[in-house]
Amino acid sequence: MRSGHYKESVPSLIVLSDSTAVWVWGGILVLAMAMAPYFLNAYLLSFLVLILITGTGALGLHVLTGCTGLISLGHVGFLLLGAYAYAVPVAKFGAPPLIGFLSAGVVPALVSIVVGVPSLRLKGLYLAITTLAFAFIISHVVLSMSWLTNGARGLPVMRPELLGIDFESDARFAHLCLVVAVATLFAVLNIQRSRVGRAFVAVRDNDIAARTMGINLQAYKLRAFMTSAFISGIAGALFGIYLSFVSVEGFPFLMSIEALAILIVGGLGSTAGVVLGTVLIVLLPEVARIALGMLGPQAEMLFSTAAHELRTVLYGLVIILFLRFEPRGLVGVWRDVKRLWVNWPLRH
Amino acid sequence: MVSRLAIILAVGLFAATAAKADQGITDTEILLGEVEPLTGPPALLGVAYNVGTKMAVAEANAAGGVAGRKLRVIVEDDGYVAARTIQSVKKLIDVDKVFALTSLSGSNGVAALPVVEKAGIPTMASIAPITPLYQPPRKNVFVVGQSYEEGMYQLVRYLARKHPGAKWGILTQNDDYGVALRAGFSHALKDGGINVVFEGEYKKGQQDFSSDILRARQAGTEVFMAGGVLAETVAMVREFEKLNSKPAIGMFWPGRVPVTLKLMGPAGEGIYAVDYVETDDSAAVKAFVERAKALVSEGEVKAINRYSLASYASTKVLIEAMRRCAKTLTWACTIAELEKTKGFETAVMGPISFGPGVRFSSQAVRIMRGDAASLTYKVTD
Repeated sequence: MRSGHYKESVPSLIVLSDSTAVWVWGGILVLAMAMAPYFLNAYLLSFLVLILITGTGALGLHVLTGCTGLISLGHVGFLLLGAYAYAVPVAKFGAPPLIGFLSAGVVPALVSIVVGVPSLRLKGLYLAITTLAFAFIISHVVLSMSWLTNGARGLPVMRPELLGIDFESDARFAHLCLVVAVATLFAVLNIQRSRVGRAFVAVRDNDIAARTMGINLQAYKLRAFMTSAFISGIAGALFGIYLSFVSVEGFPFLMSIEALAILIVGGLGSTAGVVLGTVLIVLLPEVARIALGMLGPQAEMLFSTAAHELRTVLYGLVIILFLRFEPRGLVGVWRDVKRLWVNWPLRH
Repeated sequence: MVSRLAIILAVGLFAATAAKADQGITDTEILLGEVEPLTGPPALLGVAYNVGTKMAVAEANAAGGVAGRKLRVIVEDDGYVAARTIQSVKKLIDVDKVFALTSLSGSNGVAALPVVEKAGIPTMASIAPITPLYQPPRKNVFVVGQSYEEGMYQLVRYLARKHPGAKWGILTQNDDYGVALRAGFSHALKDGGINVVFEGEYKKGQQDFSSDILRARQAGTEVFMAGGVLAETVAMVREFEKLNSKPAIGMFWPGRVPVTLKLMGPAGEGIYAVDYVETDDSAAVKAFVERAKALVSEGEVKAINRYSLASYASTKVLIEAMRRCAKTLTWACTIAELEKTKGFETAVMGPISFGPGVRFSSQAVRIMRGDAASLTYKVTD
């Protein structure tokens, strides 16, 4: 492992990664995930699918909260909107799934302007409350428009067929989620190293200074909202397909909290942190179940029969522990480990 | 000679395959799985449902099990969240490798239908008998109960006969449960003789019903259909009490549990309810509770309510189908035997029947009235 970074040019500063090792390990990880559906049973495969969908959705929130510093509690609203924007044209009107996915991205992006504009003058807690209200408004609107959305009855959604490929099987669907997640990851990484991404970070770090430097705050905040909503909408569509049934009840408010937890636990502002945070938050209950199982069947049964409450407790506990002992998140831990590895036996 | 040997081998292989038991069966044990909300507000129904399953299994084991094998139930809590229902069902099928499912959680179980349908595992889904669970019928999914639509229809027709010419009000939840109740109400309206003066819908989770009930009272409501689940129905009744208004109130079986009457206090006296399981004061339910004292813990006996009876009956039907398969216990045989169920008696509800293409038992409902003093419901005339 190399011990430092010496940059000689601007392109080398903004390149995705100048480390061959990163590309090789990244490739191996993607390949492993692509092969995993052929070896995992349906239960374990569902975790992989959930990690990929949750990761995509968390990347959406990362653009808004992690990169631009705009706290949103209305993330679930965009997920729900994306799910319905896919389900309505595809399940109700028989549109091709590709149109459904396009709609799943575009509709939340357009609606995000509605919540984005009033939010331009708001920051911090005030913005969080506004976005929270947005999530409730969206679910109310979806329920009210029963002529289009089937209201509380929801819409059944079949697995899609895209470009002649049938994604009916769990393995194929996992591949679809993998493609979307990897594409989203690259898109977000590319946004971050573009002028737009640097403007987002400037707005997050100091909006007055950013404005002084000629960054149009309104335009970039709206852009962040739209990008975030687009990505979240796609994740919502995938989640709706995973559930095979799109209804307001399938998208509880807790999903917004989980998404925020992923960003905090992973390391706020870090794309790698989103990936690490997603894996931890999705797998945490299962890891805890296995760990309790080692203590005996009674302990495992306790987790099975009180899983919902224990999960909530676990999420809370992990957030508190990270905020108290490692505010930089899992990315911070990873950096420390790297430094320790490189500098050992010297102090890091 | 070679071809004859091949035929013998093929026949032998076929016979071995045909007789091979499905997953979840050992020489001594048969594993069953159950998904339900055991934590959070819906735990009231999930915990009670689980007690009913335990009772049915304990009784079956006490009677020698199924073909000499004891039954064991693995329970998963989904907290009434659809994504977790799917995860739990997948765990039970793929990791625990259960032989059959005794519950698919509540209405969120619809999300797990593709999983159980694809697996082909015998499944009983009787917590919330909503239409998508049995319509269109799925080969391996069976529902014991009655639809909310039919229950509401019967309750409204009964109250319309009792209160001719009365002014009606209805308040329902804005989810699939509320939609089903409104559908039943609309069906009853078509029969005529009902003058609706107030119709409202509340958001799931709403706690304060003061304005809704005030509007219902101002409209002159004389017969009110409280379409809440549990706490909501209690809140609606208490609001009428605060306003010194005493319309005839009808409520639905998710709220027909003793704790509802306890929370309502004197305001719950005479409240109308509809259900397809026996009333608490019936000999069958009293005997059920007595047997429970010997089979489950003290805490679980206290948790018994109508959902325990629904679960007990549903699981008994499944176990009976498995018994009929006896030593050739397979998924295919169990499903075939479930389909042949005709007039199966469980004592805690009417006879249960399925049939070819019929996966919904469509139980007969009865109208009941609350007795605030004894915290029970009694069948009306």
